[in-house]
Amino acid sequence: MNAAIDAFGLVLAPALPLAMLIAWCVPGFRGRIACWLPYAAVPALLLALGGETGAVARLDGFLFGAVLALDELNRVFLAFTALLWLGAGWHARGYLVGDPHADGFRLLWFATMSGNFGLILAQDVASFYAAFALMTFAAYGLVIHSRTAEAIRAGRIYLIMAILGEGLILSGLLFAAIGVGTPLTVLMSELPGAIAVSSRRDLIIACLFAGFGIKAGLPLLHLWLPLAHPVAPVPASAVLSGAMIKAGLLGWLTTLPLGLVSLPGWSLTVMLTGFIGAFGAALIGVNQRTPKTVLAYSSVSQMGLMTVGVGAALQVPEAWPVLASAIALYALHHGLAKGALFLGVGIAGHAGGRLSGPQAPWLWFALALPGLSLAGPMISGMAAKTSLKAAFEAGLQLPGWWAQLPLLMGLAAIGTTALIARHLWLLRAIEQRDAATRSEWLGWGFTLAASSLGLVLLPWLPVPTPWPDALRALPDLIWPVLAGGLLAVLAHRYLKVWPIPSGDVLIPIEGLIRRFRIGWRKTVRGMHQRLQPIRTRLSAWLRMPDSAREHGSPLEHAGRRDTGLVFAVLLVLMLIALVFG
Amino acid sequence: MIDWNAWLPLFVVGTSLVAAIGIFLLQEHRHTLRTTFNLGAALLKLALLVWMAVGVLDEVRHETRFQLVEGVSFILRADALGIMFAGLSSVLWLFTTIYAIGYLENAPNRSRFFAFFSLCVASTVGIALAGNLFTFFLFYELLTLSTYPLVVHRGTEKALRAGRVYLAYTLGGGAVLLLGVAGLHALAGDVEFAAGAGLRALDPALHPLLSVIFVLLIMGLGVKAALLPLHGWLPTAMVAPAPVSALLHAVAVVKAGAFGIVRVVYDVFGIEFAWRLGLLEPLVWLACATILYGSIRALAQSDLKRRLAFSTISQVSYIVLGIALFGPVGTVGGLVHLLHQGLMKITLFFCAGNYAETLGVHRIDELDGAGRRMPATSVAFTIGAFGMIGLPPLAGFVTKWYLGIGAIDAGMTWVVAVLIASSLLNAAYFLPILHRIWFRPQRAAWPDEHFRDCRDTHPWLLLPTLATASFSVAAGLFAGMPFSPLYWAEVVVLREYLP
Repeated sequence: MNAAIDAFGLVLAPALPLAMLIAWCVPGFRGRIACWLPYAAVPALLLALGGETGAVARLDGFLFGAVLALDELNRVFLAFTALLWLGAGWHARGYLVGDPHADGFRLLWFATMSGNFGLILAQDVASFYAAFALMTFAAYGLVIHSRTAEAIRAGRIYLIMAILGEGLILSGLLFAAIGVGTPLTVLMSELPGAIAVSSRRDLIIACLFAGFGIKAGLPLLHLWLPLAHPVAPVPASAVLSGAMIKAGLLGWLTTLPLGLVSLPGWSLTVMLTGFIGAFGAALIGVNQRTPKTVLAYSSVSQMGLMTVGVGAALQVPEAWPVLASAIALYALHHGLAKGALFLGVGIAGHAGGRLSGPQAPWLWFALALPGLSLAGPMISGMAAKTSLKAAFEAGLQLPGWWAQLPLLMGLAAIGTTALIARHLWLLRAIEQRDAATRSEWLGWGFTLAASSLGLVLLPWLPVPTPWPDALRALPDLIWPVLAGGLLAVLAHRYLKVWPIPSGDVLIPIEGLIRRFRIGWRKTVRGMHQRLQPIRTRLSAWLRMPDSAREHGSPLEHAGRRDTGLVFAVLLVLMLIALVFG
Repeated sequence: MIDWNAWLPLFVVGTSLVAAIGIFLLQEHRHTLRTTFNLGAALLKLALLVWMAVGVLDEVRHETRFQLVEGVSFILRADALGIMFAGLSSVLWLFTTIYAIGYLENAPNRSRFFAFFSLCVASTVGIALAGNLFTFFLFYELLTLSTYPLVVHRGTEKALRAGRVYLAYTLGGGAVLLLGVAGLHALAGDVEFAAGAGLRALDPALHPLLSVIFVLLIMGLGVKAALLPLHGWLPTAMVAPAPVSALLHAVAVVKAGAFGIVRVVYDVFGIEFAWRLGLLEPLVWLACATILYGSIRALAQSDLKRRLAFSTISQVSYIVLGIALFGPVGTVGGLVHLLHQGLMKITLFFCAGNYAETLGVHRIDELDGAGRRMPATSVAFTIGAFGMIGLPPLAGFVTKWYLGIGAIDAGMTWVVAVLIASSLLNAAYFLPILHRIWFRPQRAAWPDEHFRDCRDTHPWLLLPTLATASFSVAAGLFAGMPFSPLYWAEVVVLREYLP
């Protein structure tokens, strides 16, 4: 019985948002649907909280045979994703009041949500890819929601990079699938083993690392991220930066041959990429001028740390179980905290006088709380960071430079603190609009509560380090925050903001592409001109004399009749031949 | 007692032939009678085909055969592959007829149009069921002649010019094909379609000559299949009315070419023999070049139908690619695309016709905001476009996955890069259209708006569009179910090519 309920839940989690999308097409339901918008995430949340680990639902007729399942890893992802969609949904319900494009937003919201849940639960390659694509393409509409020139540009870059990513992922999946006995109906769980022994291992890993890396915001593949996350409406930014960005991470965790083989070369590459992301994004981020852009760079930076974890697992397969739960925990922690921070931008923008009124200190504390948690010393942040550090230290035979990992992570935390300080500083001067609705406050409050208490509320979460250890590690976590805070104050006093535009290296790349296009057009025009004489001669050669033509004339009718008779005679002849032949 | 099994293939071809003759003889103003005739024939044909398809699954032999002269027979035979193509044409003929009735309401010369339309379908089904090369050639040429009046139907200067180009290409192709057919006849006698049994036994000294004949046959068929240097007629021919374009692109002409290539590779030469002669690898190269070329040219088009035409050039070569890949998975991918491309492309052309008829929109930059005025048509267009890009769970993904696996299986990993590049290009020319339709506000009044009281467009135009769109979703979504296109393609491959 329980298994049946779980299977139903597995299907319902991605299907309910789609069902609501379809129900919206009936005009009578629209008001209801708009009101129920947040609750489309409830089945997914219930499944994450109460479902049995190991529950499976098989839909044999769907695609090449779809399989949905809940395991220890994707359960963590499902939990924070569902929490975030629920919180952001509440916020969106209030946010959309009076918005001219509200209907389109709702439809794409449902589609994106369905894709996000689907890709977390899908166990076969075809439905995973289907859900991934649904999420990617539907999110385009969320990014360009405001239809400003800025949003359209961000959307275009987002889409171009997303499609490149889809191409890379598909090639990776195809090459990996060929190594499985049944390449047409591959399960995700079969991929790592096949990749580990594949003769094209490096190619596959490169495709998948870069393909999912676009979604996860790897350095240089992150170009779309600081453009798209900030221009989207606040609730959409929250799910983009909190939940959808993790789809890339989940893609790595489920496909790469982690825990199976030791690949020192790849490990070094991935870890270096991760650290470049972590530090580079922090350096660029503190120079940004809008709070949401700072948050977007902070996401790139945080994803960098998670990438480092993936890289570590590529070096030490034995450490994979510990690292997997540490990375999942970190993803949960970052997802909820980043969601709360983004929704906080919406709240700050609508808070009216509250930001300077008598309750101001409390409000500021609440706005800063998830940021502090990201930097380390709050409950969930502490657990996540200590477990990641512990996982690094638990490894067996480690390269020498790994001894510096805790220090590097401390430095990254300084960066995080500086980013949060910059964010709060910019939030102070945010443009004020009309007061936030109750639904918006609810959404923010819910996400905030989930992000600070999440670890306590989800008892099944795989926390590798016992609490006392975590408390002992407290000084390790606090010094970067103090240093970061000090740095932020000093920098504010003595340093000027560098004018780095959001999208950083994208700007020169765009220039190059523009120049290439102009050159290309010139070449093509030149070729056309050279070919023109040949073409004229050819078409003159093909021209035949014009025949007389008149519509509806007796001649036309007679022509038709004769054609009909000819075919009738032919048919009769054929029948005769057949009967007597 | 008449042996029905021997007559059934002829009946299937005959239904549309009789309909054509009847409509030829009808007066222009007999609208209701003509419609009844048309739809009745389409439904009857579909019913006969379903009957035959069930028979084929039960391994019943349906064959019409008689000798014309010594050594030349007229053979119509229902095998799994033939049924697949005939089924596609019959289903899509039904929907295109419904669409055309709505599209040509009150237009002149409808009798002529529908008569040639039926004749065109009769030839397509004839091509599908042809049991030897001679019968195939007969119907192949009949198809050329019966589509010409449809291409020039409007009678404008531009249409006539397009018709001339069309005739020059297809008759030229027909002549080359005839040369190949005659050559093969001289070497091997009457060539029946049966996995290359006859040719393999020939003297090895004749192999170079056989290669030449193969090239001739592919050249002749390549004109209709719009392979690379022979594709010039297709974008020009899109001046034809929308239902004709839909039929040309999705079912009749280009598919006849592609289907002919399937027959030549599998049933005349046999895949192994063709591989041994080294004929398939150049075909893979040619198909890949066409795939990329069509997509790149499509990018630069500003006319909606023209962009779709270049997209057809690219997509039909997926079929050729699948056939030329040496291995069962690639074959399934190619065969299944025969159906998938038909369903998706006909949807797109129906949509283009709907935009043109309802809003007067022909150019892509006039489509801004069309989604709000015509939501159902635009949803269908979106499905078709995403299917072409090859996103799951739509039909195009199934093809792409099979072709990709087939290519790696055959040891041609570079083909995967071509497939991915083609998907990217497809995205590059379809997504901007979708952006305009859904996310841009309407710019000005529509150029020529009709059906103002309809929420979307005339039901006769809308229903076929929605039907084919839902088929292309179902073909991907339920690919694992019995009787899906994928299932049928696997039956064909299992039964005919894997002994």
